[in-house]
Amino acid sequence: MANLNTRWRKENTYDAIVVGSGIAGGWAAKELTEKGLKVLVLERGGPMPHITGYKTATLDPWETRYPLGRLPDAEMKAKYPAQQRTGYALTEYTQHLFVRDDENPYEEKQRFDWIRGYHVGGRSLMWARQSYRHSPQDFEANAKEGIGVDWPIRYADLAPWYDYVERFAGVSGRKEGLPQLPDGVFQPPMEFNCVEEVLKKGVEARYPERRVTIGRTANLTAPTEEQLALGRGKCQHRNRCIQGCPFGAYFSSNSATLVAAERTGNLKIRPNSIVTTILHDPKKNRADGVRILDAESGQEEEFYADVLFLCASALGSTWIMMNSTSSRFENGFGNGSDQLGRNIMDHHLGVGAQAEAPGFEEHYYSGRRPNGVYIPRFRNLGDAATKKDYLRGFGFQGGAGRPSWTRAIGAPGLGADRKAELTQPGPWIARLGGFGEILPYADNRVTLNKDKKDKYGLPTLTFDASIKENEQKMRKDMIATAMEMMEAAGFKNVQPVDGDYAIGLGIHEMGTARMGRDPKTSVLNAHNQVHECKNVYVTDGAAMTSASCVNPSLTYMALTARAADHAVNAKKRGEL
Amino acid sequence: MLMNRRDALFGLSLTIAAGSGGYAWAQPALGWTPTALTAAQAQILDVVAELVYPKTDTPGAREAGVPQMVDKALKGWCDPMQAGFIKSGLDKLDTDAKAAHGAGFVALTAAQQGAMLIRYDQEATAARPQPHPFGALKDLMTIGYFTSKPGATVTLRYDPVPGDFKGCVPMKEIGRAWAT
Repeated sequence: MANLNTRWRKENTYDAIVVGSGIAGGWAAKELTEKGLKVLVLERGGPMPHITGYKTATLDPWETRYPLGRLPDAEMKAKYPAQQRTGYALTEYTQHLFVRDDENPYEEKQRFDWIRGYHVGGRSLMWARQSYRHSPQDFEANAKEGIGVDWPIRYADLAPWYDYVERFAGVSGRKEGLPQLPDGVFQPPMEFNCVEEVLKKGVEARYPERRVTIGRTANLTAPTEEQLALGRGKCQHRNRCIQGCPFGAYFSSNSATLVAAERTGNLKIRPNSIVTTILHDPKKNRADGVRILDAESGQEEEFYADVLFLCASALGSTWIMMNSTSSRFENGFGNGSDQLGRNIMDHHLGVGAQAEAPGFEEHYYSGRRPNGVYIPRFRNLGDAATKKDYLRGFGFQGGAGRPSWTRAIGAPGLGADRKAELTQPGPWIARLGGFGEILPYADNRVTLNKDKKDKYGLPTLTFDASIKENEQKMRKDMIATAMEMMEAAGFKNVQPVDGDYAIGLGIHEMGTARMGRDPKTSVLNAHNQVHECKNVYVTDGAAMTSASCVNPSLTYMALTARAADHAVNAKKRGEL
Repeated sequence: MLMNRRDALFGLSLTIAAGSGGYAWAQPALGWTPTALTAAQAQILDVVAELVYPKTDTPGAREAGVPQMVDKALKGWCDPMQAGFIKSGLDKLDTDAKAAHGAGFVALTAAQQGAMLIRYDQEATAARPQPHPFGALKDLMTIGYFTSKPGATVTLRYDPVPGDFKGCVPMKEIGRAWAT
């Protein structure tokens, strides 16, 4: 070991180590390398080269092994009992992106849907690309309402970083001038279809405080010089983003941040590197580096750096911190507050409405827009008119479309006439689904389970979390308001959608190492540094102090870029 | 040619209701080797598939390879109970054909075959949400047909790389439903 340590010190020392290569890790790698640091990115999953790694990118429907690319039930049950819970995402087209639950198990005291992708790029290759800013209200609500702890930053702290990451990533959308959904640096918005125009007119006429806009999505509609220079191109409206985009048209680590980082010459990516432990130097009270387990060789190895960025996903980073115990941190790394693993949040979804929209049978659309409509939050905006008997709010995502041949599944009819019918699109259907804010609850938590090991012999996580009364009340309002908006648009046969939901299904898990002002009640400070060990930054979903109701990835990007800037400056000042 | 004519007759028979006269033709060799089905079941499937999605101005199920896709799904995709359920449905078609007409399903006239399938389809509709062997088989054939290359690209429209998105286009400019 002594010899090894000497060799590792010599060969494995960098300026900064980034753990994870997803949305946050890619940004950390880009920012730190561009600012001149030698950076090692450690990714627990295997390689995923941009474009050549996307082996199903151009798979046509008739090329699948199985009907609709759906995996056999037996295989789903055996390998993917949790990953299959989205109901749609895991197919033959995407199987290479999802973890096998049998190899990466976890325990659920209450159902918890932990949907994961372990490979270079992480879930930046799997995300829905919806990109919204948190609002000033989102950063202030905890303090005003006495919920959880106060964010140590405000919207103004993050606004320039939102600008910065939007400009690089490329977000298409429409400016709306709403305080609850700040505008950003947008590429041209995608179009509504005919029925969505009707929805917009109907809803906004009946409910002036509500707005129907096009989704803000990280797909390029007018690439900048910078994006073109990275090899990225305009969205081709295939809507096969999750199969991998050969045009680099949607933002991912692989298409954008890691490419930029590589071009600096300062980046090294080491796949198959499971970070198990943060090495802590008690004399200097700083992190010295990390220990990894090589997923292929099974060998341990150490890497050292002045700065450590944990970007391994909320629960991945939390696991690493929990597993990094020492005489200084007996209860987990930087966990003097006992908040590590607590306050798990997500966005609760699965409720809304669906309706038929007659009158546009002579119209259709061409192209597959990888995006839908968005209705920003309109509840509890601070005035009496929007105040409800619950806290916070929700936004809607959805849209309208005409089902094609799939409407024949489970329906009567056969023969030449039926076949002729099916060559035409079905009736217009409109759908709205809510995304609701979940409050931070200290007893919604995840803990380290040393009794149950994964296939590498490493401890696993146990989840015990659920939505509570505030969210349940909100869900009723989500259904009611979705239905009344469908009615306002003049749609017919308006039906409630009341699906089941468990935390995690939103795939926005967050909050388990929250930012805060006080080391006694939070894990991270205003710059995402671990309060108790300042050269460790955590900039993924773990950092979130509250959830807002908007999709969180853009905020992870902005927090990461801001933290990287801080880290480089602090390092220059000799503070780390 | 014979196939075309029979298909045309069948299309007509659905429109004017079953019962008009028809002729039975000898079945051609399958041209593929079933892996999950017996030869007899495969022959029945071959006829059923073409009756459900017949050749019209666009390709039929046979040309689209639907029977092979169903056989393959029964072998490696459906769980064994579901596969057995669907296979038993094919057997029952033959049993019912013999009971009603004194001949196996493939030997019946197109009109007789069509009438039997219409009755099965009605049964399947009435049974919902309970499963029905014909309903389950038809769903597999539907998926097989419209995700086949002829089904997706000839019967429907398929555009792997659309380029642009246009939200509101007169239907007549597009003509057919998009396959995806």
